[in-house]
Amino acid sequence: MFWIKKNNDPAQSKKSIAKFIDQMKTNPDFSHFHHEGKQFSCWISFIVTLVDLEYVHRDLLPALYSDRVHSIEDIAKVLPADKLIRTKNLSEIQSGILDGSLMIRESAHSKECLLIPCMKKQSRPVEQSETETSILGPHESFVESLETNINLIRSRIPIPQLKVEELRVGKISRTRVSVLYVEGIANKENINTVIQRISDLETISLISSNMLYLMISDNNHSIFPQFIDTERPDRVSGALYEGKIAVIVDGSPNALILPSTIVEFFSAFDDYSLVWMLASAYRLLRLFAIGFSVISSPLYVALLTYHYQLVPKDLLATLIVSRSSVPYDPIIEVLLLEIMIELLREAGARLPTKVGQTIGIVGGIVIGTASVQAGITSNILLIIIAMSALAAFITPNYRMATTIRLIRFPFIISAQLLGILGIALCFMICVCHLLKLTSLGHPYIEPIYPLRVTDLKDSFVRLPLNLQTQRPLFLRTGDKNRANPQRVNKKEGKHSPDIDE
Amino acid sequence: MKHFMHLIASITVLIILSGCLPTSVIDDVLIIEAEGVDYIGGNKVIGTVTMPNYVQSSNPGSSGAGLPTTASMIRYLSGTTYDGKSLVDRFQENGQRALRAGKLRVMLFNKGLAKHGLRKQIDLRNRDPEAPREMNLAIVDGSCKKLLTAIDYQTQIPIARYIQDMIEQNNKQNYPESTLESFLYAYYGDYMDPFLPVIRKSGDHLETIGLALFKSDKYVMELPSNKVFIFKMLFQKFDQGVYDFEFASQKHIALKNVHTKVSYKVKNGNSTSPDIYAHVSINAQIIQAYPKSINKTMGPKIEKKIEKHMAAQAEKLVHMLQKKQIDPLQLGQHVRSHTRHFDGKSWYDRYPNAHFHCTVDTTIIQTGISD
Repeated sequence: MFWIKKNNDPAQSKKSIAKFIDQMKTNPDFSHFHHEGKQFSCWISFIVTLVDLEYVHRDLLPALYSDRVHSIEDIAKVLPADKLIRTKNLSEIQSGILDGSLMIRESAHSKECLLIPCMKKQSRPVEQSETETSILGPHESFVESLETNINLIRSRIPIPQLKVEELRVGKISRTRVSVLYVEGIANKENINTVIQRISDLETISLISSNMLYLMISDNNHSIFPQFIDTERPDRVSGALYEGKIAVIVDGSPNALILPSTIVEFFSAFDDYSLVWMLASAYRLLRLFAIGFSVISSPLYVALLTYHYQLVPKDLLATLIVSRSSVPYDPIIEVLLLEIMIELLREAGARLPTKVGQTIGIVGGIVIGTASVQAGITSNILLIIIAMSALAAFITPNYRMATTIRLIRFPFIISAQLLGILGIALCFMICVCHLLKLTSLGHPYIEPIYPLRVTDLKDSFVRLPLNLQTQRPLFLRTGDKNRANPQRVNKKEGKHSPDIDE
Repeated sequence: MKHFMHLIASITVLIILSGCLPTSVIDDVLIIEAEGVDYIGGNKVIGTVTMPNYVQSSNPGSSGAGLPTTASMIRYLSGTTYDGKSLVDRFQENGQRALRAGKLRVMLFNKGLAKHGLRKQIDLRNRDPEAPREMNLAIVDGSCKKLLTAIDYQTQIPIARYIQDMIEQNNKQNYPESTLESFLYAYYGDYMDPFLPVIRKSGDHLETIGLALFKSDKYVMELPSNKVFIFKMLFQKFDQGVYDFEFASQKHIALKNVHTKVSYKVKNGNSTSPDIYAHVSINAQIIQAYPKSINKTMGPKIEKKIEKHMAAQAEKLVHMLQKKQIDPLQLGQHVRSHTRHFDGKSWYDRYPNAHFHCTVDTTIIQTGISD
């Protein structure tokens, strides 16, 4: 940390190349030695744990030892490497070495050096997507390496217009952040906003894209996620073709898609692999599930506490009988079960996979039935809570799913306070908040308000692709048409009879 | 920061004050399902309320939790009070738990009270925001208390639900709808009078025996069961119900109504004797007939006969209503809606003199599978 401070101090910067090496020498993985050749001798410094040792030993050092090298200039000619940097700039040298470059200096006191990038990247191979699983679509997902991720996207968008802008975020960590967009489609204003927001960040370090998401979102007090984060390269490419912007952070296996509207959180990418009727049906099912998940337990509290009039007459007997052995008010009963389910979920997420499954079964079946038998909850409520927990996870986006899990608690409390009026008030507050919310300055609940009929075609329902010839209106893309609507919808050509006919 | 403090303060106030809201947790209240009022003279009534008595089922999931608390709840309360007193208030002090009228299904009045007048009862219900508008009202031939508290019924389900089920299924067939809402409409509306079904306990079951017709809030006469079809046919369009037609002595034909439609025309609406023309078209299905009384050649003949008979019955019915000076068919409304500058003040004097003409158009669309 302190070497950056020193770097900022101009009085000390002249000395500091030697000081920097002295400082680094204390680390056991810093290698600094003098190379004495027949024609050429130099000082070589690098961090062993960062460089690709195989490359250094197989290609680099033999080239240095070869007879053709007489001076530092010759290295560039013999070395099979690109991007050699000759510099005197100390900060460049420092970040070069710490990024995994090899430094060559002619003497121990020379200020100029040659940096040879030979970084080794630890990365796992491309694997199946874990959080956003797909049945019909591709199974690839992003990994922690930025290069691999960009490769996955580039291979899906093979055009020169795909721009990758690299930024560095974090005063110390200098994490690489890539902003991807298709030039000519993506709105310039959006691109500038994203780049400005990222480059203006005042932060020490940036570990993951989730941190970046939290820092650049429009309203970081909102419980609603404002940008989609996905681990699927196909979803990112689809979004880029639509005119959106993707942000990838080095070291994070997911990408942010900006800007997003609320309906996109409820559409899975698998919807595009199905016939439009089925896809629409599943989207509507999801919408229903979310409504059910948020409203069901608050409604239970409100109806059973205040509005017994609204309970259907045939349900009355069932409810009363199942409640008759429960000693608590409905609110206590509901909170008890909700918190229990919430505990199970959290425990399931934190525990190792194999134990987690057991906990899920034990919790769901044993604790559920036991609590009914013990008479602390009614069995109708158990069904409602279990179904609403299930329905909450029908949301394809994990961030949104957690929001939906949590948003019901204020609803439950307000249902206890004021009955259905309380639920209505809570809903109103939610709607007001959503109306005010923006994603990259664009209204968050866009196809609904402000109403954009063209964007509704791919929101709650997904109409057939030949009707979706326009890119989302709210993105204000450079080219609003995906395809020529006349040619898409052109009828079959004139039928010429076959020779048999 | 100030903004934030305001928010905290308002939420605190909301939470603290909402503790004062009266709750009615579903299993901690006595939900009244039926009210019965018997008139005993001198403005005194016997009121009866019944509560459902849900017995804990032998559900294995909910056993082992001690005694079910609803099984031991009281089943009904009964006592004298004055006419027009809210029974919920009257019995609150007898209640095991708080009484609530929000799930009231049926309200019964005996004939004595109906003759005395339902004015106060109707006002009470009309004022009550809790009482559901779709509850059924009915007149009891006999004592409401006996009907509600008897334990010798064949069915085990709560009596209120039994009564409501019976009234509702009848309302879908021969009987016209009789909820609190429709009663209030006919009671408070101009140029119309309300009606209610009459029920009776007969041995170990209940039965609907006719339609009680009112002059404003007072019972005037009872329409027997076999004339109710004609009444409903003139009152509204409907599509279920059976009419039994005796076309010769001891020879019956039963029509199952597939669809009937009624339309009214009025001439000389402001004259001393307005002409009211009702045209009923019936699509019917023969479900029962005297053997060999109907076949392809006989069909049109029978149709003619039925038409003639029904029109005569309808005219007879209206004539009777005119004589009693009651208008449950809401003919006054039809006249008003067909007449420019309708003279409403003199309508009640002119109504008995009105000429009612009825034409019926019957179409037999099916005579059964044996044809």
